Amino acid sequence: MFMTRNEYDRGVNCFSPEGRIFQVEYAIEAIKLGTTAIGIRTSEGVVLAVEKRLTSTLLIPSSVEKIMEIDDHLGCATSGLTSDARTLVEHARVECQNHRFTYNEAFPVESCTQSICDLSLKFGEDGDEDAGGMSRPFGVALLMAGWDTVEGPRLYHTDPSGTYIKCEAKAIGSAAEVAQSTLKEKYKPDMTFKEAEKLAVETLKQVMEEKITSTNVDIASVKPTFRLYPVEEVEEIIKELTS
Amino acid sequence: MSRWSPYDLNGGTCIAIGGEGYCIVAASTRLSTGFSILTADKSMILEVNDKCLIASAGFDGDRSQLHKVLTFRSENYEHFHKKPMSCPAMAQMLGNTLYYKRFFPYYTFNLCAGLDDQGRGCVYTYDAIGSHERVGYSCQGSGKDLVQPVLDNQLKAPSILELPPKVAVTSLSQAEAIETVKIAFSAASERDIYTGDAVEIFILTPEHGVQKEILPLRRD
Amino acid sequence: MAVSSWRMDVPGLDGKCGQASRAAADLALGQDALLTNAEVTQANFPLPAVQNLDHFGKKVEDLVKPDHGTTTLGFIFKNGVIIAVDSRASQGSYVSSQTVKKVIEINPYLLGTMAGGAADCAFWQRNLGMQCRMFELKNKKRITVCAASKMLANTMYSYKGMGLSMGSMVAGWDPSGPAIYYVDSDGQRTKGTIFSVGSGSLYAYGVLDQGYKWDMDIETAVELGQRAIYHAQFRDAVSGGTCSVYHITQSGWVKLRGNNHYDLHYQYYPDGHATSANSVI
Repeated sequence: MFMTRNEYDRGVNCFSPEGRIFQVEYAIEAIKLGTTAIGIRTSEGVVLAVEKRLTSTLLIPSSVEKIMEIDDHLGCATSGLTSDARTLVEHARVECQNHRFTYNEAFPVESCTQSICDLSLKFGEDGDEDAGGMSRPFGVALLMAGWDTVEGPRLYHTDPSGTYIKCEAKAIGSAAEVAQSTLKEKYKPDMTFKEAEKLAVETLKQVMEEKITSTNVDIASVKPTFRLYPVEEVEEIIKELTS
Repeated sequence: MSRWSPYDLNGGTCIAIGGEGYCIVAASTRLSTGFSILTADKSMILEVNDKCLIASAGFDGDRSQLHKVLTFRSENYEHFHKKPMSCPAMAQMLGNTLYYKRFFPYYTFNLCAGLDDQGRGCVYTYDAIGSHERVGYSCQGSGKDLVQPVLDNQLKAPSILELPPKVAVTSLSQAEAIETVKIAFSAASERDIYTGDAVEIFILTPEHGVQKEILPLRRD
Repeated sequence: MAVSSWRMDVPGLDGKCGQASRAAADLALGQDALLTNAEVTQANFPLPAVQNLDHFGKKVEDLVKPDHGTTTLGFIFKNGVIIAVDSRASQGSYVSSQTVKKVIEINPYLLGTMAGGAADCAFWQRNLGMQCRMFELKNKKRITVCAASKMLANTMYSYKGMGLSMGSMVAGWDPSGPAIYYVDSDGQRTKGTIFSVGSGSLYAYGVLDQGYKWDMDIETAVELGQRAIYHAQFRDAVSGGTCSVYHITQSGWVKLRGNNHYDLHYQYYPDGHATSANSVI
């Protein structure tokens, strides 16, 4: 893919003669190394499902966080560098609280996504690090699932270039391509939430290398408040799938 | 020797009433300093959007600065969030804006009034440093002491503190509320030297947006 | 001084649309030990260009007359915590509101009460609510009453001497059980079982201390709180309006009473003034 690799892939603030910023493209590549995450929007709510790659049985599964709560009405699934995700999520949480403090209302999902993307773009800038900017692009993609007071359930996808897209169903991470085509095939606009939940886990199961268990996936919903499913509930969903 | 002060008091009275399906905001247009009248035609009301108005009594200099800041923040909000700022959101923001000047306050006494998401009238009343609460009706400014007791007697919006909780809107019809506002202003203009010349009355309804009416008052 | 590292640690200070609140929240954790108060404050809250800030502050207070006056009380007993408050606010001798909500619902397990300057209490306790929420998101557990009250006390201490006025109780239920902390604008913070704060507190204490027993049932405790507030409203001119009573248990707070003083009076003294405390013989 990167046949023209040369001096231009070093700096983050330098276009190549073909008009590309390689570091951003490489950051997007980093997501393809990440675990798979899936989000589906229905009129009843949004479901998020992620794979947790547990490289050792000595790992404590609950300490691997791939789905994070941002506010009551907002959560996100991540793929890529988890540490970068934490910085972005922390930023989003602060923005949500600020908005609540100033306007006494929930932060609109799109505005929150926008503010994450604003931070994503602040790489390679001079000046103090207070602004939250980094010397390189964030190597993480997010699926933002939220509920707006007026518009209802929302799902957005963000990537390291600071682009965001509104989605009905989206897969990110190493198996994104396969998962996305499954979603494209099976997603229906009039799906119930239960069906979407099943589709998300089913798709995940299909693309995961390991056998799906209640410990190596996380599931969360926003309908209309964010909730990460406890292990027992995940177990039940997986059981339904196999029966 | 008189000491210079950063503040003046320019007088004027404003009233807001929130009912089921309407909201009325009214303010006198006289601007005075000491015993002299500076102008007979000065609006104290800021039209933020068709769901939210702000009436500010007190010092005109602080008022115009405050209105400028609020306009700026409301437009910014509209661009960023792609929707107009709701009245409850503006109410909280105004409270915070006033509090950020805690140590050098805006010498203004505000009412933030409009329609909430359900189309009900909502009125928020403030002190100068941002303490606020939602009420069914309120009055601010130089005629406050004269008008507020009359409103208390005539309007009787339920207290939000009593159980079971009720929404703080007055039970008066729109026509009755407008009539009460007019009577209150003409009465205040008889006894308060800072209230007079004219009163601007804004009527907000979900169906007709903002309508404006001007009622002449005593000009002496 | 390097302030870069704590930016992300302190809630409410990042981003574009909340720059003003960021400034306020910066201070809120009292992490400004590296900076002097004046520097921090000037950066966030604009100050008038006057020689004597204290004098100016007092004059402005006379001029704008912010909302004041209160009776609030709280106590712990066998079945939880009771918080009871009045609802009057006055600007000088003018009653500016009879319907002030003096209990600030920080979260479903934490309540703050309001005495002193209404704006000071409301603003900083909402700010505290924001900090508590950030704590919850980060640590995946609720903040303790002890920690929450300490954050409020730190905020207050960072503004000491600048004329804030707040006397507050932070009450709630955490894994260690029920707790009430008294926090005020001087930066004082005390743990206790019975508190009453505000201009009518002496009247309330009279009733409260006389009737308090550790093993009361809930109904008796609610009644005691309400009666103490009623009597404070009766004797203290700047307390009045409605009496609200909250009860906090393991499962969070509930509001149990909200009664107008007028109704309470005729409930306690059905035949009007004949048997009331101020009847003329």
